[in-house]
Amino acid sequence: MVKTFSSLFFVGAPNLVRRKIFLLTLFVTVGLAILAILILASLVFGAQEVTLGDVFASLNRLWIFGRPIQNYGVTLPSYIDWSFDIILYHSRIPRTFTAILIGAGLAVSGAIMQALVRNPLVDPYISGVSSGAAFGAVLILLTSIFSGFLETVSLPLAAFLGGLGAFGITFIIYRSAGETPTSFVLGGVIVGIAFSSLTTFFIVTSTREIHGALFWLFGSIAYVTWDVVWILLPVVVVIVLVSLLYAREFNVLLLGDEQAAQLGLRVKWFKRIMLIVAALLASFCVAFTGIIGFVGLVVPHMIRLALGSDHRLLLPLSTIFGANLLLVADIVARVVMRPAELPIGIITSFIGVPFFAYLLIRRGKRYAM
Amino acid sequence: MPCSSDVIIRVKGLVYTYDSVRALDGLTFEVNRGEFVGLVGPNGSGKTTLIKCLSKLYTPHEGSIELDGRDLRKLSQLEGAKIYAVVPSEFTMDMNISVADTVLLGRYPYLEGLWWEKERDEEIALDAMGKLNVSHFGNRKLGELSSGEKQRVLIAKAIAQEAKVLLIDEPVAHLDLGYQMEIMEMLRSLARDGVTIIAAMHELNLAVRYCDKLIVLDKGRVVACGKPKDIVTQKLIEDVYGVKSIVHDVPEIGLVIIPLSGSNNGGVFDKKNGKKGAAELSKTQTWRRGVEA
Repeated sequence: MVKTFSSLFFVGAPNLVRRKIFLLTLFVTVGLAILAILILASLVFGAQEVTLGDVFASLNRLWIFGRPIQNYGVTLPSYIDWSFDIILYHSRIPRTFTAILIGAGLAVSGAIMQALVRNPLVDPYISGVSSGAAFGAVLILLTSIFSGFLETVSLPLAAFLGGLGAFGITFIIYRSAGETPTSFVLGGVIVGIAFSSLTTFFIVTSTREIHGALFWLFGSIAYVTWDVVWILLPVVVVIVLVSLLYAREFNVLLLGDEQAAQLGLRVKWFKRIMLIVAALLASFCVAFTGIIGFVGLVVPHMIRLALGSDHRLLLPLSTIFGANLLLVADIVARVVMRPAELPIGIITSFIGVPFFAYLLIRRGKRYAM
Repeated sequence: MPCSSDVIIRVKGLVYTYDSVRALDGLTFEVNRGEFVGLVGPNGSGKTTLIKCLSKLYTPHEGSIELDGRDLRKLSQLEGAKIYAVVPSEFTMDMNISVADTVLLGRYPYLEGLWWEKERDEEIALDAMGKLNVSHFGNRKLGELSSGEKQRVLIAKAIAQEAKVLLIDEPVAHLDLGYQMEIMEMLRSLARDGVTIIAAMHELNLAVRYCDKLIVLDKGRVVACGKPKDIVTQKLIEDVYGVKSIVHDVPEIGLVIIPLSGSNNGGVFDKKNGKKGAAELSKTQTWRRGVEA
């Protein structure tokens, strides 16, 4: 439908580039519109039920005063419940921002990894990076080396080291097992299991009280604070922009290392740097919210199915639709068991697992032919 | 300067060693602009290594390569990409990339600006697609194509690269007879347009028939170089491949090589296929004979 729709506008000469620009504009617009609706939904839905009107009124007060204030220096009408201002300010707004940033980050990280290893079945979760990152973060928390703000800052760095280590091990297994697409997936999955087991072991045997294993293994954005938003924001924005800048290079890489080198790309350096960048992005996402799987797999893949593999479409749309997917997952996690919450990673797994199975079957069929 | 005797590739004393094996052992040859050169020789004779040295993927240990009057070592990979293009022998594609996008990637070395190709890049890509007759499936995915179609797309990509020299590793491997002829004819017409083509090939009869010049390699050395008619003899085939054969000059077709028996294998199989299974070999051989007799 998309194809016929766009060809209505550009009849005649094929105009490959103009068609892509058109599709990009169209999907970015639609994606942002959906995002706007989801942001409002994310502010409305939760343990405490409010209306859209309450949200706007509360947002308006927060906008004027910068933070929730009990009586705003004036006598408030009795029907205004200022406690919702607090919920909005301290929970729902940072949580919504975090969902957007992490969704975008995980999706872009997945898209980058897929291009680098030329394997559509890869994402931060499947490659073991998320589990390694969670392990690194848990170690920092349990050893209590740092405290306060220093701990908040050291958390993602430890996660990054863990994520990079896990990716390294996966890569060694993949290399030794003949560099087949399946060996990467299998290697990543067992590395992931190993790190998740270690994480659980340390949490269970430790005396320090931190979020439980459930939080780290299935993720949750219920406890995030503004600090998390301020740390994630620059990292996600900068890395996404960098990846967009190199969209053309990612395209060249689709033809394989030798062809890319022959076309003038410095393949070794580009791949090394981008692997680190992708691991960094995924690790920052995991460090504060635990392992949220499959976002990096599902989102880029859907876009690739619909619009092809050009990274000038794939990367920006992964950013937007990754944010959308995680917002939906977070809203669902809050709503289905209200007032209790589900770990968000369970929701993404419910979407991701069948999708992954479908991809495997499709590939298998093609090889069998 | 499309002058017929104008040298575009000059290789002198080229040596490349894997561990202690000399894959290329002092190669020296020249190729003229617009020539269609067939690089032939048994497995392990150094064909693929030579292609990789010419495309700067390998750095030779000794000797020099001059491309279009410039020392290859002093060219950056990006500058090189504007002079030569490589068509790989095997190519798998899992990602969902379309034919048109693939050909457009050939414009990468020339791209200016931040993101999008200019209109001129698109024109050149479309033109290349037309030449290789792949325009009508420009929207299809590379992964869905047959080997022959994929080969044509990759050649179109190389043409979009506006390369003066096309380096092709086994252009007709995995293709059936019809596609083999089609690709060879397309390559010949590209050479007529002034593109220099170096193709590493196993199919002697096709090479003899379509190429302007053959470079015969054996154990990393050039054992013969020149017009097929001048150099291909029964003795050469036996020396290089260890296969007895009949070389016959058929009027209006040219040389035809009919392999008879491999002295090394003691059977009808030629040495170059020595690594394949016996059953597969006898099939190939029967098929070859049927076609060539």
